[in-house]
Amino acid sequence: MIGLKGTLSVIDNSGALVAECINVLKVKTRLKSTGFASVGDEIVCVINKARPLASGSNAPSAGNIQKVRRGDIRRAVIVRTRKPELRPDGRYVGFDDSACVLLNNKGEMIGTRVNGVVSASLRDLPGGAGGPGGRWSKILALATKVV
Amino acid sequence: MRIEKCYFCSTNVYPGHGTMFVRNDAKTFRFCGSKCHKNFKMKRNPRKVRWTKAFRRANGKEMVIDSTFEFEKRRNVPVRYDRELVATTLKAMERVAEIRAKRERAFWKNRMSGNTAKNMRQAALDVERHIELVQPRTLPATTAPDVRDKVREKIRVRAAGKKEMAKQMARAGGNKKARESRLIPADGAGMGMSMNVD
Repeated sequence: MIGLKGTLSVIDNSGALVAECINVLKVKTRLKSTGFASVGDEIVCVINKARPLASGSNAPSAGNIQKVRRGDIRRAVIVRTRKPELRPDGRYVGFDDSACVLLNNKGEMIGTRVNGVVSASLRDLPGGAGGPGGRWSKILALATKVV
Repeated sequence: MRIEKCYFCSTNVYPGHGTMFVRNDAKTFRFCGSKCHKNFKMKRNPRKVRWTKAFRRANGKEMVIDSTFEFEKRRNVPVRYDRELVATTLKAMERVAEIRAKRERAFWKNRMSGNTAKNMRQAALDVERHIELVQPRTLPATTAPDVRDKVREKIRVRAAGKKEMAKQMARAGGNKKARESRLIPADGAGMGMSMNVD
């Protein structure tokens, strides 16, 4: 249940740490669209807190390029929520916190890693190339654990 | 589908019941219901909460070591489906449950076995300590005999009056009330009657 002003931790290596939701991208005419985002939904968010820029050297090393800064507006996909979500098998699964992964405007990941647990509800969502795992297969593949 | 055990109270969690909580280190906790989930959120230790299985096991209230528990274990050995095997397993499950129930009953009996003697000892001790409550109280010897007679007379009169009242009540309100106002209760409480007059 992520709505306007909802804060999430960012669990990729884009450099952002905390993001705040400013819009939920959902089809408004869809039945059951509540205006709240849950796992697998895209949102627009502001980066509230980012890892500090590498000071001293003007040319940061290739592997550690800062991709986002505080105040940036980015898209993101929610990968886990604190609010327990209903799975098709009747389970309710909740997490320690709500978290997201940042995306660019084409819907691709900005970072290259996902550090932490992601919800298995990311699977079997419509969209994407039609491969296994659906649209967010890359996140599922990179995540340390899918529960 | 698996039937999981509740993390807090260790009861069975059937599909469609309860919630699952996933910690950020990916450890999962299943709960049978909101009660257990809330207790978990309060950071209570199930071994210290009296109604949980964990407490009962840790404090010798229930059987812990038994061969019947060996059957209910997670085995990471894939088994090819075999109709005969399933049939025998189902039969065995019933039998194991039967045996376990029997052993649990025996365990409980053994646990409770010393209680009667203990209670009797305690009761005897109580009587000894408060012997003055058990013995019929007598008026102090210093009381003059005529005073005693007076008291006895008083009691008799009051008792008669009450009896009369009870009769009247019975006539007015039926048998129930008459039974309530019976003067001497069936159990030993009647002993104190003579002295409660004042």
